[in-house]
Amino acid sequence: MNRKRSYMFPEIEDYREDLEIQHLRTKNHFVIGLLTVMMIMVFIYMLIADFPLRQTLILMFGFLFVILFNIGNLAYGSENNRFYQLNKYLTTLGVYSLALGILFVFASPAAVIVLFIAYAICAFFQDMRIMFISNLFLLFFAIMIVKGYPEYLFMENPSAENNAGLTLFFIAFILILTITSYIIIKQKQFFYSQIAMSKETEFRNLDLLIDLEKEVTKTAVDTDRYYERTSQFLEAFCRKIGIENLFQEKVSILKKLEKGELTPAMLQNHPQYGKSDWERLEQLRIGGNGKLRKSALKMSHTFNVEVKKREIFSETHFKSFNHQKDSLDIKILAFVLFYAALKRGMPGMPELEEADIRSILTSTDYSYTIDPRVFQIYQKNTDVFASIVDDWLKRRDR
Amino acid sequence: MMKSFFRRIRDAEFLPMSEVRKIKAILVLIFLGLMTAITIPFSIFFLDYSAGMKILFLVVFLVSYALITLFVSLNRIVPSIQISILYTIGLALLYTNGTNEFYAYLFFFISLSVIVFYQELYAYLLYATAVAGLGIYYILTHQASLINTPDIPGVIIIHIVILVVFYFVFLVQILYNEKLYTDMNYDWVKMNQVIDKYQEDIYWFLDEIRKEARVSAIQEDLAYQKVVSELFVFVEKQIRDSGKEFQTLFELYLYLHERDLEKILDSDEISGQLKKTATRLHKYLLNARTELFSLITNFYCRFRPAVPYEPNRYHYRLNDLTNHSDEQVIAIANLYQYLIHEVAGPDEWDQMKRVLSLEEVEELLTGADAEEFLTPTQMAFFRDNEELFREYLAKK
Repeated sequence: MNRKRSYMFPEIEDYREDLEIQHLRTKNHFVIGLLTVMMIMVFIYMLIADFPLRQTLILMFGFLFVILFNIGNLAYGSENNRFYQLNKYLTTLGVYSLALGILFVFASPAAVIVLFIAYAICAFFQDMRIMFISNLFLLFFAIMIVKGYPEYLFMENPSAENNAGLTLFFIAFILILTITSYIIIKQKQFFYSQIAMSKETEFRNLDLLIDLEKEVTKTAVDTDRYYERTSQFLEAFCRKIGIENLFQEKVSILKKLEKGELTPAMLQNHPQYGKSDWERLEQLRIGGNGKLRKSALKMSHTFNVEVKKREIFSETHFKSFNHQKDSLDIKILAFVLFYAALKRGMPGMPELEEADIRSILTSTDYSYTIDPRVFQIYQKNTDVFASIVDDWLKRRDR
Repeated sequence: MMKSFFRRIRDAEFLPMSEVRKIKAILVLIFLGLMTAITIPFSIFFLDYSAGMKILFLVVFLVSYALITLFVSLNRIVPSIQISILYTIGLALLYTNGTNEFYAYLFFFISLSVIVFYQELYAYLLYATAVAGLGIYYILTHQASLINTPDIPGVIIIHIVILVVFYFVFLVQILYNEKLYTDMNYDWVKMNQVIDKYQEDIYWFLDEIRKEARVSAIQEDLAYQKVVSELFVFVEKQIRDSGKEFQTLFELYLYLHERDLEKILDSDEISGQLKKTATRLHKYLLNARTELFSLITNFYCRFRPAVPYEPNRYHYRLNDLTNHSDEQVIAIANLYQYLIHEVAGPDEWDQMKRVLSLEEVEELLTGADAEEFLTPTQMAFFRDNEELFREYLAKK
């Protein structure tokens, strides 16, 4: 129970990372926007307040460097994700360096608060490591100001009240910002996990549906007939727009692929196609478990699905054995029905091994679908559970 | 208890929104508890109020604190959030009116952070705007306590700008999160509904396999019933040394498989309590696509072979499958045929024979749902050649 849990489907972790990267790009746009606005404001102020030109230029160069570095990394990031990762760390460093620069150039209590803005900007990344680095910076700079530059905080002639107040309030502020960032990051991870979980569930359910359909109907998609009609359609289409039929070769290749005929001879006959071309064409199979068939199945099942506004954020869509309104008896019954069904199996869904059931229930996020009291009993008595089921199922088989 | 609470914070990414909201409310409660504990010595030694006022403030804070605790314990999270925000603003006012020291000004930022913590747009717009307004008022009326000697020109304006920027940075963040999470949630709910539809078909096929194998339904299997019964009694005895209620509950559960829930709810002979239990049990039946069936199916899917993960694993858009226009045309033709000729689910007589009509397929390929699968160009291609599609691809 104390170990960090993994996910029920290993693919969830991969897709979560993909989602993270996708959204990191948008977050970076916001950071660039905020830094640009700040740069313009600081520049205008420094010109009006007649700051030395050298100081103004150094700060502006700093801002420009961080912004351009961000834009550069965004461009390279589309080629290699590592640039996005690198960017968030270096931007954090850059933002705090700029805040520190402003603090020293302005040398005013007002500038101390810029550190809080730096924290808020870095919080945009919603990343645990960035949060940790940001906290370290904020804490370090707060201590540095209190000890090394007390004049920035009216502490040249310190009163006990201001000393105590500043120390306590700084700590309180860092504490609440840390908790805020932590929970926001966790909430983001929750949404990413739920999306990833549903995507993988859908993917696997589509596979199961295709296999069951084949088993029950004992027929497969009549791909010969499909391609016959497609050829006629394409002929007519080419006639309509007045071009020669350029589709024939691809149709013939796909037809062979449907029959699982990617033979060395085929590879030899089409040297213009590389590995990625063959992989892509495989995806376009309408028979078997090809991706196009999954698209078609998903499309046909999407028909008439409507999401009502009140359903968004509604927890009734969470499937679990731990619904708040259910009594403990119902929660227990739901779980034991589930466990016994997995152990017993049913035609089309063979029984699962105890070790497999146990590993998912006890070491993945699946445990959160079970009432904690029921889960603890299962966890402490997995052998008892298994022997009760095995005993009865053996008796039945005898 | 504390250990369990910290564990829940650590694992917050696995908990539903309502649970996380409760955790947030408890965390703010702890934070405000600490701040109140600090405020008592501060108000005694430093804050410039009469003794009566100090006592009044403390009483108001203690009563409010008790109220927040009560609401949290009753699981009434919305009022507890509102009161805790007002409490924080109250603390900010107490400090800023009670002393001229610089530290009091920091409390505006602490208040804004507490409001940000809840990540609720309307609460932020209402309370954070009020705090920012109060902060600006404070800056304008307490200039002496915010200016150093000497200080940079226009320092008061800078204080105001910094407070406003802080407010806006978090506003932008909340707006971004709100949009992102609403979109994600919409997708998630829709995906779950589509998965339910797949599982309705899966249930139908499994039932066919069972009938063909001449095997009784799982809930009718006596050995299964016995196993459930023994496991239930075992678990219940561990929790509360009882197990007596099981028989009635299980009989009702099995009875629900034979009788329609609506008929049970309409019946005058069945008590209200039993009807309530029946409604709750209904989602765990095994003779239809229910929540329990979905849980079993998803769990079972975990152990079926699956192709290794690739970044395009969940891409169903034609454009993501191929960017070659000739292949896209062939794919649309095949897609259309699949939709028009293949079975799309059980019909009204529970036979796996329902196919989509021409009109339904055309709506699928040109309506709002099509955007998930086709680009506007592909939809336009279909519309421009609809006649050809009908003539060559819809025929048997």
